[in-house]
Amino acid sequence: MNERATLSKDEVRSLFTAYRAAPESEQTQLRARLVDQHIGLVEFLARRFRNRGEPLEDLVQVGTIGLLKAIERFDLDREVEFSTYATPTIVGELKRHFRDKGWAVRVPRRLQELHLELTKVVGHLGQDLGRSPTVAEIAQTMGTTEETVLEGLEIAQAYNFTSLDAPLDTDEGGTTSFADQLGEDDEHLENLEYRASLAPEMAKLPERERRILYLRFFKGLTQSEIADKLDISQMHVSRLLNRTLANLRHALEEE
Amino acid sequence: METISLKIPASPVYLQIVRLVAAGLATRLKFTLDDIEDLKIAVDEMSAYFTGANGREGTIEIRFSVHGDSLEISGAGHFASGEKVRTDLTEFSRMILETVADSATLEQMDGTPTFSLVKSKAQ
Repeated sequence: MNERATLSKDEVRSLFTAYRAAPESEQTQLRARLVDQHIGLVEFLARRFRNRGEPLEDLVQVGTIGLLKAIERFDLDREVEFSTYATPTIVGELKRHFRDKGWAVRVPRRLQELHLELTKVVGHLGQDLGRSPTVAEIAQTMGTTEETVLEGLEIAQAYNFTSLDAPLDTDEGGTTSFADQLGEDDEHLENLEYRASLAPEMAKLPERERRILYLRFFKGLTQSEIADKLDISQMHVSRLLNRTLANLRHALEEE
Repeated sequence: METISLKIPASPVYLQIVRLVAAGLATRLKFTLDDIEDLKIAVDEMSAYFTGANGREGTIEIRFSVHGDSLEISGAGHFASGEKVRTDLTEFSRMILETVADSATLEQMDGTPTFSLVKSKAQ
């Protein structure tokens, strides 16, 4: 499923050995490689939860946090393979997400379904029209009222995510393609950080959130364009953006 | 020109209602989804100055006016005497608002903190 080569058991162990021994400056990169190697496992496990009303991409994000915890806790002296060790941790994280943080308990089924349907319709319509759709167009396609669509859009913001509360760099596993696109953008990012005097808060953001912020407010891309570029739904971009901004506002206020 | 007014407690809890009214009016003006999302971000960004992260003692009065293809949203905060509200935009806010709105101002008017936002339908 990935273009990258899958490492053998022994190679994974060597990578772990290198990770444990590495100086702090190299740990992030090695950890990202470990995440990369096992993101397929996370996706596999996340798929088992997808009929519960949350987008798969969100579940993968939650599962990745479990993977990161497993990476930190894995004991190389054990005989067990890492994937065997990590599976219950990842599943545990997904289950906890639904129990504590998920909207499964808070948002009625009808609204969950509405949100999923909206995500789909907005994506398709955007492609067919070559521009962002209007609410009337979305309502018509879904055979529902404009009010219902507006309600569904607002609900997209209402449910919790864990990514911003997660340890740094958690996004790297699922989003290696973003890293490829960085490079020259980094310079502008630094400039952005400087200009906004937000350096510490910006630096704390996961890579994807920082990138979305940059593309929207520095490059002027629309949410739909960002969704295309990062290959996630516009609804997901909207949610990440709103949450990131809310967190930054909060952080600034506390200064 | 038609105007709609809302008066809410100065708490982030009620911003959802403000966003919904803004989105509802933008829908009448046939804004695209991208523009509606931008408008909501603008509303959140401005309102955050008045509500703070945890709410303030007081109320916010918000007026929505439709002028042709554009929507103007203005707010006035009425706070208890102890509440301190800043009325100059941070550089970060300015950058956000420049992207998501056509114009945005925050100022003290006769001792009352006020904001104004304008967003027009994309041509």
